[in-house]
Amino acid sequence: MNCTDVRRVLPEVMDSAQDTEFQAHLKSCPHCSELVADLEWIASEARLLAEADEPPARVWVRIAAELKAEGLIHEAEVPRLRPVLVPQRRRWSAWWLVPVAAALLAAGSYVINRRAEQPVASNTVSKPETPQVAVATPPANQPASQPVPKPARKASSPQVVSDVPSIEADTLDDQQLMQEVSTRAPHMRASYENDLRSVNAYIRDAEAYLQQHPGDEEARQHLMDAYEQKAFLYQMALQQAQ
Amino acid sequence: MDRMQRTTIAGLAIVACVAIVAAAETKKEFRFSVNGRANVSVDTPYGTVTVKPGVANQVLVTAILASDRVELDNGQKGNRIELESHLLKGGDEQSGRVDYELTVPPDTTVSLRSTAGPSLSVERLRGDLRLEGATAKVDVRNCSYGHVHIRTMNGPITLTQVKNAHVEVTSISGDIHLNSVDGQLVQVGTTSGRIFYDGDFGLAGDYTFTTHSGDIEALIPGGTSADFNAHSVQGHVQSDISLSPKEHPMFPAELGRSFFGTMGKAASEVVFKSFSGRIRLKHADKTN
Repeated sequence: MNCTDVRRVLPEVMDSAQDTEFQAHLKSCPHCSELVADLEWIASEARLLAEADEPPARVWVRIAAELKAEGLIHEAEVPRLRPVLVPQRRRWSAWWLVPVAAALLAAGSYVINRRAEQPVASNTVSKPETPQVAVATPPANQPASQPVPKPARKASSPQVVSDVPSIEADTLDDQQLMQEVSTRAPHMRASYENDLRSVNAYIRDAEAYLQQHPGDEEARQHLMDAYEQKAFLYQMALQQAQ
Repeated sequence: MDRMQRTTIAGLAIVACVAIVAAAETKKEFRFSVNGRANVSVDTPYGTVTVKPGVANQVLVTAILASDRVELDNGQKGNRIELESHLLKGGDEQSGRVDYELTVPPDTTVSLRSTAGPSLSVERLRGDLRLEGATAKVDVRNCSYGHVHIRTMNGPITLTQVKNAHVEVTSISGDIHLNSVDGQLVQVGTTSGRIFYDGDFGLAGDYTFTTHSGDIEALIPGGTSADFNAHSVQGHVQSDISLSPKEHPMFPAELGRSFFGTMGKAASEVVFKSFSGRIRLKHADKTN
């Protein structure tokens, strides 16, 4: 091995003590030995460089700009990312009941709020109307301070309301709920069915009344209570299904 | 002699059956030490849960598992104790039953949940209570000063001597009985269940009772001090008590559908609302 060979293989064998020819030449050639010693010293000092000793970022930016101007380097092409479809295993879970319960409450709030924005119907309580329903006889001990009896409200034709939540959607959700209960707790099905029927009747009655009397705050509160009851029923079914 | 022999054999068979059943049950006891206000929760699909006050700084639990088809998990993190039973493969409402008896410090916060019960029972505590069940019967007695939250689907609910409490009770179709219940806020609501109140609406609180089709009935003594407002949208209302008139009623005046007025100094506000149920206010000492 001569000095030219040493310079050629120096980067590969510099840290290696295994190459005997390389080591033998260093022992016999003071020039190459001094070169290797200088390089080893530089490498050891470089490891001790702290971050603060590195040049600031603007230096590298300026160097990169100069190299680009000279055409020595080019902008790297960023590969366009393609969406990857990851097949997901379908899992049948009862957690869909949670958003359904939330949707019920949200739908109820939406309906109630929309009805509140509509103009008050002409058949309000304050206007006297032709009584159609016979009111029960007041108790015999009714004190004289009781208010003057008002005629009952006349049932008007229902206004067209496009904001009523879809009955079909509710029925589908209810059917899925009952299927879930039947699967997880069949002995509880009758109980859930009865209560679901009660709650749906409450919602229907409140909606129908609110449709005829959109400004009735009490009816609106009844409808909110009905939706809360239904959401509670769904929540109980969800806990049952877990 | 033959008859005696048959009787003896039958008796032995019965004893053997009882022994077999008893042997299948497992009794577990736990003792938890707490420092300060404890928070105990019990979650079981089937079984009774009974909670009573015990010594301070200690929670004692006795659980009887009906079979090996049910598993009980328990854990303690500081003053929070959790007990949960869940069914194993093959478990059902008979074999999966776990009956709990707990004694806790009187100011413990208690949370009980049972799907099918049969019952959740709490007495003589002063902490917050949260009881929830589907068909479980709920019974709360002699509890004071806490927040009492109860929800059932159709399990009946009874509150007795619940004083100075914040009470919120909801049931879809279960009947709700309140005997001597008062507090700053008492809210009771059902869809088709009935509400019965027997008390004086004390402590200058806000009392609200709401149903869809269930009836509301309140029995009050002569010394009651309250401002009453009652309205049923489609049902009938009746007050057997003479009420003093008030200037600004909460509901529109409608014969047979609403009544309002005050009694005594009108310290508490009482609101009865129903969609199609009946509402009746009666004297407690003049019940039919």
